[in-house]
Amino acid sequence: MTLLAAPAFQAPNLAYGRLSPLLIIFGVALVGVVVEAFAPRELRYQIQSLLALAGLVVAFISDVLVASSSPFSSSAGTGAFGGIEAQGAIAVDGPAMFVWGILLVMTLVSVLLVAERRLEGGLTAFAGQASALPGTEAEREASARGIEHTEVFPLVMFAVGGMMLFASANDFLTMFVGLEVFSLPLYLLCGLARRRRLISQEAAMKYFLLGAFSSAIFVYGIAMVYGFAGSFTFADVDNAISSRVGADGLLLLGMGLMGVGLLFKVSAAPFHSWTPDVYQGAPTAITAFMSACTKLAAFAALLRVFYVALGGARWDWQPVVWIVAIITMAVGSVIAITQTDIKRLLAYSTIAHTGFLLTAFAGAYQGTIVLTNQVSSLQAVLFYLVAYGFSSIGAFAVVTMVRDSSGEATHLSRWAGLGKESPVVAGAMALFLLSFAGIPLTSGFTSKWAVFTAAWEGGAWPLVIVAVVMSLVAAFFYIRIIVLMFFSDPVGEGPTVVLPSMLTSAVVTVGAAVTILLGVVPQPVLELARHAGEFVR
Amino acid sequence: MNLYLPIVFLGILAAAFAVFSVVASSMLGPRRYNRAKLDSYECGIQPTPQPVGGGRFPVKYYITAMMFIVFDIEIIFLYPWAVYFDSMKTFGLIEMVLFIATVFVAYAYVWRRGGLEWE
Amino acid sequence: MIQGVLDVADNGLSDFGHDPWWVVLIKIVLAFAIMLVFTLFNIWFERRVVARMQHRLGPNVHGPFGLLQSLADGVKLMLKEDLIPKAVDKVVYVAAPLVSSIAAFMAVAVIPFGPEVRIPWTDVHTPLQVTDLPVGVLYILAIASVGIYGIVLAGWSSGSTYSLLGALRSSAQMISYEVAMGLSFVAVFLYAGSLSTSGIVAAQQHLWYGLILMPSFVIYLIAMVGETNRAPFDLPEAEGELVGGFHTEYSSIKFAFFFLAEYINMVTVSMLATTLFLGGWRAPWPLSLWGESNQDYWPLLWFFAKVLLFIFFFIWLRGTLPRLRYDQFMKFGWKVLIPVALVWIVAVGIIRAISLEGHLNRSWLVLAAGVALVVFLALGFLGEQPIPAEEEGEVGTEVDAYAGGYPVPPMPDREEEGVRG
Repeated sequence: MTLLAAPAFQAPNLAYGRLSPLLIIFGVALVGVVVEAFAPRELRYQIQSLLALAGLVVAFISDVLVASSSPFSSSAGTGAFGGIEAQGAIAVDGPAMFVWGILLVMTLVSVLLVAERRLEGGLTAFAGQASALPGTEAEREASARGIEHTEVFPLVMFAVGGMMLFASANDFLTMFVGLEVFSLPLYLLCGLARRRRLISQEAAMKYFLLGAFSSAIFVYGIAMVYGFAGSFTFADVDNAISSRVGADGLLLLGMGLMGVGLLFKVSAAPFHSWTPDVYQGAPTAITAFMSACTKLAAFAALLRVFYVALGGARWDWQPVVWIVAIITMAVGSVIAITQTDIKRLLAYSTIAHTGFLLTAFAGAYQGTIVLTNQVSSLQAVLFYLVAYGFSSIGAFAVVTMVRDSSGEATHLSRWAGLGKESPVVAGAMALFLLSFAGIPLTSGFTSKWAVFTAAWEGGAWPLVIVAVVMSLVAAFFYIRIIVLMFFSDPVGEGPTVVLPSMLTSAVVTVGAAVTILLGVVPQPVLELARHAGEFVR
Repeated sequence: MNLYLPIVFLGILAAAFAVFSVVASSMLGPRRYNRAKLDSYECGIQPTPQPVGGGRFPVKYYITAMMFIVFDIEIIFLYPWAVYFDSMKTFGLIEMVLFIATVFVAYAYVWRRGGLEWE
Repeated sequence: MIQGVLDVADNGLSDFGHDPWWVVLIKIVLAFAIMLVFTLFNIWFERRVVARMQHRLGPNVHGPFGLLQSLADGVKLMLKEDLIPKAVDKVVYVAAPLVSSIAAFMAVAVIPFGPEVRIPWTDVHTPLQVTDLPVGVLYILAIASVGIYGIVLAGWSSGSTYSLLGALRSSAQMISYEVAMGLSFVAVFLYAGSLSTSGIVAAQQHLWYGLILMPSFVIYLIAMVGETNRAPFDLPEAEGELVGGFHTEYSSIKFAFFFLAEYINMVTVSMLATTLFLGGWRAPWPLSLWGESNQDYWPLLWFFAKVLLFIFFFIWLRGTLPRLRYDQFMKFGWKVLIPVALVWIVAVGIIRAISLEGHLNRSWLVLAAGVALVVFLALGFLGEQPIPAEEEGEVGTEVDAYAGGYPVPPMPDREEEGVRG
């Protein structure tokens, strides 16, 4: 019996199979919460870590299956394959599936770091009881009883799920939901360090406040664009833009505000100021996770918004991106020189890398099907993020191993003479730093090459020149650390390299291996990125 | 006439009645000054000084408020689902059960962690 | 102007929105007067009934049977000195009782008192309801929430410890029971396919939802008592602990307004219960066989009889039950009412889906019922267990029998620890 003359209601159609990687990750995160609620405390660490790893592996396999079975879309010729699922909310296209896969692998590696227990004497690097005030009796007691927050595993899973959603969202609302789903767990994770809890909590607070502001600005931008286009869907916004007459204030305002929100997440200057503080304060495993995965997801979303939805207004946003790219490169490379803390230094390094990535973004080079050995901007950016992500996780993994009595020894002076203490660890770090600097035969070189080529082809050659100069500046401080590690004498007691368990060793090994492999034989991954094609519209 | 206008008029009527009563009472009632009468009432003891900014509350109230918001949002999703249930049938049922289960996971977590305990 | 959204033709509310302005005015004034007079009556009714339960007589001096006692009390309050203590935040302090009472009055706008009738001495036909909205019940919930503001603001602005604690308790309690209340409606909407009160009454032509949706009805009955701060859930006003709770510092007419708001809310939730679960103004079964029973002004009689039934239920509870302890009260709301309500919603959805789909295998029904039962039992089992030393907050908290220098009795859940401590 219905009193409402209900307008015909169409039950939505969900392709569960296509969305399975997302659903698996969110499902595993939920199961993790249930485990946290009901499993006995002694078993939680084992259950949670295995669950998270298994979930990531299964999700990755399903991602591969989805990717290998996805048909080319009807709009073939644009080089896009896959389709738009969930009533237009999620684009399961080549780039999305590529990003999903890479996110899952990089998260897998990060989870190994999160699960590391030997470095802290049998406990994870996360606060035993986050609610206990730092320096109180309750904190000491929690620590003595060996309590640990295994909630970090579900939190990481929620974060990566949100990132996957963020990178594949096909309308602004879904994108915002994804943004919040991955941001909120990250805010929390940043504040959970076991050592130096005050600075960790400060980092979390700063990240939360600034992140909340940027989210608000992003939503405001969405509202403006909605006011302009009358729709949240990217394709509709694109249509509205291509049929517009002259410049539209609403569109420009909305575009700018959304740009601020997204550039904040990729930590581009002048919206980068949270990055050093948060990278320094957060538990190093989480810093590694953020530096690789947040950046990848945020760049994927940035490119999707600006290429798919706002591509028609390219002439309006391109000049701004040029300026942002130059400022970002300059800020990252120059301020990094003065840093004395290795985590802060890596944070500025990540800002500089954002600048390099933005050059390709500004180039907005579409590529052509004919020139098969050319990469488009999108493909170059994706390749760069893969290369950078693994090097970055590896570098932060090394940071967790260099310790003294008060935990990680992050001050650069403590790194002097590390080469004598442990040539292997110092060598791995040197490899990562060389890759960041873009020395040939490392992944940093090939990825920079790809990005600069795309920018050049897109006509952003002045940017490329600036970028090359800035790379040289940046190389200075990378080399300085290498010199410090190998050619300086240790100060005082000198650093100690604590022998980690298999987990961290595996992370460093994977990072180093990928760094060398992508430097020597980049073709397979580059080919994969190229095969992913363009965004579906 | 618009469906919502009568509500506005009813509100105006109620407001007029309330304001009139308060004003009338303040005119009709006596006024006898007494310092003790104007203190906060605490059964005869010296009134507790109020901390600046309201002081601190037990965090339990905060958790209760957050749980309320979570469930209120769940309810807001349940209402349209219930009204349009007949058009969605089993599909709607499955999706809503998934949604309720998801919220229930968080609820179970809070429960097990003692978030619902009052002492 | 926004007719697109509020188009009356396509949402089953074609009876509404056509009244001439004077009819609307009359209905508004009548609804307002009914609430006011009914409240005065209810206060008298409560005092008489409670008195009888305690072998007393109750008010019997002013007017026939003492009926004018509440009116006399109201006038007396009006003539009392209007104290404004010096610690209060004046604007908010004055505004709070107004917010509370205005919100209470406004909720009655969508209550259907009867079917469409002819106004005497005219040819105008109109439903006995001020107005109806496509989201009628949601509107009542919203207005009820605004009423909570009045209480919170009153407690906050009074600048008194008792008031603040009372307001804090009150808001926590009301939002806790509002969840259960909101959940209890879902099953009704599911069967009625409508959120408008008149639509829900119309949908109960053959069967009252109070009968087929018994669990929802019971949950609502409990939640409405918690929502109105009535005994045994009157913790915000616990005289023994908090003097008067949030209205400790109020006097004269402002106090009267809180009193008024509480009784109006009592009437409103009773009317809502009648509308959603007892068929609204429809005549009860044997009477409904008489064809005229649901026409003209007769339904008013059935409606108010049903509402009075609920009012009596309120009074009966107050006359019989002692006040709950706060932890028991919150535990009951969060750990019993809400899970039961959710499980019940799912069960109703399953039953409804099966009856709609028709071709579904019956063995699925049995299986689903079994699963639901097992889940339910498991929840009950878990809920009964005292939770082991699981809480992170438990670290280092042992019961100190002399906490803060004063002897403190141990809580019942941990008597053994308390004895040891």
